[in-house]
Amino acid sequence: MLHLSDISLVLILLSVLMALGSSRIQELIRIMAFQGVLVSLVPFLLERVHTASQLDILFLLLFIGIKGVVMPGLLWFASQRVSAKMELEPIIGYHASILTGLVMMVIAAFISHKMQVASEGLHPLLLPAAFTTIAAGLFLLVARHKALTQATGYLILENGIYLAGSVLAREAHTQFVVEFGILLDILVGIMVMGIIVHRISRSFDDADTMFLQELKG
Amino acid sequence: MLELIFIIPALTGILTFFLPRAMGRMVITGLGVLHLGFTGIICFQGLPALWPDYFQTTPEGNLVLLVTSFLYLMVAFYTVSYMAETEMHNEPVFSACLLLFLAAMGMAAVTDHIIVLWIAIEATTLMSAPLIFLHRSKEALEATWKYVLICSVGIALALLGVFFTLMAIKSSDSNTSMTFQNLLKNATGVEPIWLKAGFIFTLIGYGTKMGLAPMHTWLPDAHSEAPSPVSALLSGALLNCAFLGILKTHGLLTSAGIQWYSSQLLVWFGLFSILIAAVFMMQQDNYKRLLAYSSIENMGVIAFGIGIGGLAAYGALLHLIHHALLKSSLFLSSGNMLLGFGSKKIRETGRMPRYMPRTFTAFMSGFAGISGFPPFGIFLSEMLIVFGALQQQAYLQTAVFLIGLALVFAGAAKAVIRISFGNFTGELLVPEKWRMVIPIYLLIATSVLLTIYLPQGIHEAISMAVKYQGVALTMGGYIHG
Repeated sequence: MLHLSDISLVLILLSVLMALGSSRIQELIRIMAFQGVLVSLVPFLLERVHTASQLDILFLLLFIGIKGVVMPGLLWFASQRVSAKMELEPIIGYHASILTGLVMMVIAAFISHKMQVASEGLHPLLLPAAFTTIAAGLFLLVARHKALTQATGYLILENGIYLAGSVLAREAHTQFVVEFGILLDILVGIMVMGIIVHRISRSFDDADTMFLQELKG
Repeated sequence: MLELIFIIPALTGILTFFLPRAMGRMVITGLGVLHLGFTGIICFQGLPALWPDYFQTTPEGNLVLLVTSFLYLMVAFYTVSYMAETEMHNEPVFSACLLLFLAAMGMAAVTDHIIVLWIAIEATTLMSAPLIFLHRSKEALEATWKYVLICSVGIALALLGVFFTLMAIKSSDSNTSMTFQNLLKNATGVEPIWLKAGFIFTLIGYGTKMGLAPMHTWLPDAHSEAPSPVSALLSGALLNCAFLGILKTHGLLTSAGIQWYSSQLLVWFGLFSILIAAVFMMQQDNYKRLLAYSSIENMGVIAFGIGIGGLAAYGALLHLIHHALLKSSLFLSSGNMLLGFGSKKIRETGRMPRYMPRTFTAFMSGFAGISGFPPFGIFLSEMLIVFGALQQQAYLQTAVFLIGLALVFAGAAKAVIRISFGNFTGELLVPEKWRMVIPIYLLIATSVLLTIYLPQGIHEAISMAVKYQGVALTMGGYIHG
């Protein structure tokens, strides 16, 4: 039987591949927003859907709003002010990136298989999807040199970690406050990054981290 | 109301955004006095928390809080004079972020909740980023971007580590509060694989923030580009907060009986940091970067001591206190030097005994202290670490440790002699002033004082934090039971 949670997790994996293959920054931000919505949905679909209280739904909407609208919105806003909207010469090419993404999935599945022995009762796709998303976020951070793409990579990394953390959801019903605190931190982080991106593009005419190589040794 | 220790600075910080400049300066020092007083009450009398599920005093947290609060007060005094001498863009933002930064560090110190600690440490990154960017140069921009990105990614990995740690600990009661003290108390079983994975990610994550090599790359940039008072706070207070996360997770592994694993990792990461710092200090031509690498070295020393355990762990926490005091004094001295010489390059400084004798005295004492000469506390703490390591028969590690320290001393001494007695031919831009030297002297004097007489309360806090019951000697000949 096909569950909604299965579909979400598969879509998350797909969005990872799309993010690795996209060359336009605004397209990347759109993919990330889509992923953010899915990632907020997964813990709800996995654990709370049958016993949802009003508070659960309220927080679900709040998380979707922050991950799917506010954070991408901030990056979108920053991208409007940056002149170059394409990553023309990535450090690792797009085809190679997608291929790397596929290899990551295989490795993630392998690691999760090893670790799942220790923890039963998990959705079989959850950990592979989480690990792949984390790896893809890290990959974008090192393989691209536009500041905005790196910020997006950071958010994808956070999405993956959030997904890994949702394993805990079934145990911790009272942890909304804490989850919200985490999200608030990331939100402020994205704001700070957006401001710096803006400054970089003003100082150097382009938000490219290739310019940031003065400090050494 | 334990929580007031971070709520008050946070609210004041937000308020300071809207205050005029002169008032902002008064607020940052006034709050420093208040904060230190309140910290004294928390540490020596104890104060109940409003939300005990999230906030709770711990011995190691109290130590960090005490150090942070004292340091902040000294830095605040210095900052007010510093602001008068140098042009500062957007001073209200600076004052406000300074207070918010203090709030975030205070929160990290008084929480024992595994995720709230993470939230607080991430908040310290975000609140200190605008402080680094203060001078608005291209270099400052680069340093800030690296700082925010590298530390955020690092701390994100620490969050993954936190989740793994939580997954490792199976609990019968799903609503148990997730404090470090409670986690294992209610545990019905522990999965060693997950706990080890959790520790690795925590170490990499918080280690990035703490400045352990090879994750240290942001640290020299941020410390050298930030204004000197901010560098002093970053080095003396912020790194300790990140260290708290590692120490507490190490405590979890110790309780679970697999401390050999985290100990080994800490020891080798620590040694690697010392060696990396030594290599980069040899060829350093920027004195603020020199001090930054010295911080990496000292964080390595602390990690090494904790990894060895026992007497060495006691030494490591003592080292944490004295490093904070001495290193911040050195960074404040470097602030005077930067104002006077107008350059961070070592070759553009010199003749300090003649041009700035008071700063010279402070800088030289700080250097002697950080290198481990008596009567400064680093002498004691490093000695305890070496004795502890020999007790545990870690001969190879001790040898590497001592070689590393010797190399660091060689590199630093060469640079410091150059800075102090080099051939400076220009004019001094800003003559030194008493009010910019007194906070430095106070920091150094405190270190000497704590070496001669260590209050019973601090001794007990260190012993409880590292669970080591033994005698601690100070140079005054005191032996505490």
